[in-house]
Amino acid sequence: MTPALEISHLRKVYRSGTVAVEDVSLTIQEGDFFGFLGPNGAGKSTTIHCITGISNPTSGTIRIFGVDAVANYREARKLVGLSPQEFNVDPFANARNIVDWMGGYFGMHSAERKRRVDMLIERFELVPHANKAFRELSGGLKRRVILARAMVNNPKLLILDEPTAGVDVELRMDLWRYLQELNRDGTTILLTSHYLEEIERLCKTIAIVAKGRIVRNGPKEEFFTEPGGLERAYLAATGKAADHVAVAAK
Amino acid sequence: MTINWIGLWTMVRRELQRLMRVPIQAVVAPLISALLFIFIFGFVVGGRIRNFGHYSYLEFVLPGVVMMNIVSAAFLQATSQIYFQRFQKSIEEILVAPLSYVEMIAGSISIVVIRSVLTAVGIMLIGWAFGAVHMHSFPEFLFWVTFVSMIFGFLGIIVALWAKTFEQLNILMVFFIQPLSMVGGVFNTIEMLPPWLRWLAYGNPLFYFINGLRHSMIGFTEGPAMFGAAFTVMLAAVLGTIVWRLYAVGWGLRE
Repeated sequence: MTPALEISHLRKVYRSGTVAVEDVSLTIQEGDFFGFLGPNGAGKSTTIHCITGISNPTSGTIRIFGVDAVANYREARKLVGLSPQEFNVDPFANARNIVDWMGGYFGMHSAERKRRVDMLIERFELVPHANKAFRELSGGLKRRVILARAMVNNPKLLILDEPTAGVDVELRMDLWRYLQELNRDGTTILLTSHYLEEIERLCKTIAIVAKGRIVRNGPKEEFFTEPGGLERAYLAATGKAADHVAVAAK
Repeated sequence: MTINWIGLWTMVRRELQRLMRVPIQAVVAPLISALLFIFIFGFVVGGRIRNFGHYSYLEFVLPGVVMMNIVSAAFLQATSQIYFQRFQKSIEEILVAPLSYVEMIAGSISIVVIRSVLTAVGIMLIGWAFGAVHMHSFPEFLFWVTFVSMIFGFLGIIVALWAKTFEQLNILMVFFIQPLSMVGGVFNTIEMLPPWLRWLAYGNPLFYFINGLRHSMIGFTEGPAMFGAAFTVMLAAVLGTIVWRLYAVGWGLRE
């Protein structure tokens, strides 16, 4: 079976000379719920930007369901939905338009788009806020709009970059349920988060990235058979275990 | 490869909605400025200036005023559209969508042309109220409006991709485009210039645009018409290719 995402020796060096991704290779199978963990600045978002076309990879290859994300970018992007960490929208546009426009960019016909936008606006409980400008919404509502926008094209690969950062418990729980539902229906999901609990609860496979390289990658069960579970594995993999122990000892 | 027409239309639709949020800046301001130009230079001053062949000074000036505003509308539309999207990062919505680079550029340029045409139509209506509108050749008129809008749309995109601050957006407009418009024959014929200055007019691209539009409206020309048209098409093609290349490498667009 063709993997949903196949990254081989991805490297990204910014114009400033900063090496954001040193050498990342990973494979995500279709139907997987993949957790991508790592400290701030480890290269998670940059990897996601390279997958989705926001950044140009310096070298390496990225294939989405077998389609080269650089050489055949137009076809590759049809398969992906992205909820970025930052709110990258026109703050004066209203919630409905933000979701609708994205459907339009993906070439969805008017009737199909309306059905999908209505469904997502309702699903994310945005009905009373649909005609409000994005900048007038609270942080949690803004996050809902971004999530609805990511899902408007019904992507085969859904990429969520810290989707629950700064949202209330209610939305977090609701989003978890919805993501599990989508995954059961066949959507492959790549999730980054700083909440280990979230990764533990949702993901089937976990990769840990540190200093631009994958330092651990395997099925979730592997991490739980070790003493200390995911937290300890994460701290060990990112080289923070020693600091952690030292702080705890103090 | 099929064209993503819905995606293209969405880009236009979205930008039109943005323009509707700033109607004074986008629509009213150029019309007021054009009205003042027409009134002062065409009507008040023009009343004391001899006719140009069969046409009054006002009829001579009007195409130049239309062209100045087309240039300005096209450049401002392109710079504000792209720079604000970069500034807000909403340009990422386009980058992650299944749109080819040509489609991304076509979407941006379409709205540039639409805004320029609307501006031209508005000024023509004002000119019509002063009894100064003539149409020698409508296809020629459309050619000049469309190609000149595209040229300044492409220039605007290049500047918006390069600019790091709002201040930088104005450099080309203030130091090059506006002065070249003023000396490009909006208010005078080349014949009126001292002989030693005429070469400057022939070396000024704006002269060919103004002269071309004037010919399409009143049939008056001072330069080689075919050369002007060929130069304009070539300039649009060169700038379009540069913009396409910048999109392909992601200059100013992608990290």
